Amino acid sequence: MSTTKSVIISCAGIGSRLGLGQTKALIDIAGKSLIRWQLELLDSIKDIRIVVGYQSNDVIKEVLKIRKDAIFIYNHNYFETKTGASFYLGSKDANEYVIEWDGDLLVHPEDVKKCLQMDQEYIGYSDKVSDESVYVKTNNEGDVLSFSRENGDYEWTGPACIRKNKVKYTSGNVFNQLEEYLPMKGLKIRAQDIDTYDDYKKAIEFIKSWQKK
Amino acid sequence: MTKFIFDLDGTVTSQETLPLISKHFNISKEINKITKETIQGNIPFVESFIKRVHILGKLPVDEICELLEKTELYPQIICFIKKNKKNCVIATGNLDCWVEKLVKKIGCLSYTSNANVENNHVTKITQIIKKEDIVKQYKNLGEKVVFIGDGNNDMEAMRLADVSIACGLTHKPAKSILTITDYLVFNEEALCRQLNQLL
Repeated sequence: MSTTKSVIISCAGIGSRLGLGQTKALIDIAGKSLIRWQLELLDSIKDIRIVVGYQSNDVIKEVLKIRKDAIFIYNHNYFETKTGASFYLGSKDANEYVIEWDGDLLVHPEDVKKCLQMDQEYIGYSDKVSDESVYVKTNNEGDVLSFSRENGDYEWTGPACIRKNKVKYTSGNVFNQLEEYLPMKGLKIRAQDIDTYDDYKKAIEFIKSWQKK
Repeated sequence: MTKFIFDLDGTVTSQETLPLISKHFNISKEINKITKETIQGNIPFVESFIKRVHILGKLPVDEICELLEKTELYPQIICFIKKNKKNCVIATGNLDCWVEKLVKKIGCLSYTSNANVENNHVTKITQIIKKEDIVKQYKNLGEKVVFIGDGNNDMEAMRLADVSIACGLTHKPAKSILTITDYLVFNEEALCRQLNQLL
């Protein structure tokens, strides 16, 4: 897979479960907005595509401080749809391979590199860290066999890399888009996604853990 | 085939053309006020256009045409247009007699508003472009239409296009178009990257 990849960051959601009153891209974690953390870690990627919806003007303003060359994609139906719709919109006119990156996801810098260098389609997962999650079941090689809301071996966090033309429209979640292509290569990473206030506190600790080294 | 329809002022040119004319002829105050209100959508485009032509039409057409030929352009966008000449068209509300040399320099097909000229002055507007009609025309031919614009008068064309890209290269795009656009870019490189991905 020598073709250029696009990274799609979905920042359209309301972030209602977190309860901080703003979209997750803009929450402050250890002195920086979440989107800034992501963009700094993804600075080697040329085609950065940010899907915006709720608080789009504020997200755009923040992104432009870091990446003037980002392409913004509007999910005007952000209230009625989930991340799957944002991923579809972001992928539609992107490069041949697209990496889905949730706007609420923090990945350890060393593992970000792994994700970007991986030369095939994959699904990223981590040890179980969050409160309310979707889990993945894997085989001995670490390939992802299924997703489950109830139980699994690891937590589905993303990112996921897939060929653009496989991304079909759904108003549901990204894992629903991936299900039909299972089994897929798995990539275990250190990651923290932020759905609840408890996840938010864990994210601050997570950043501290890699900053210490 | 994909057809790229570009707005001219502030999208392909890095300077707005009407303020350029008014500055040259020292009538900036009058014109800028109308232009600003139009971009923001406070005055309907057609009304604003007629008002502006009423003021600028008294000025020598050849001098305006030569002046606008020197309008600064975005080099990477021009490069894309020249490379994909058959896929690209310009749609501008500007009068044909004013932008003739400028669009010739850009090198692709263009659609403009039209006027009668007598004794080097505009005497009558004969047609005011509706950019959405150009979009319809190409869609009816079975083309995939991409519209690139920044102003309130691009709204309907962007709504009808298969893909719409709002441009914040020269100034902030009109708020109205942000409620319907698919994409938004603030940088020439980003725009050209997206255009190439749409080819």
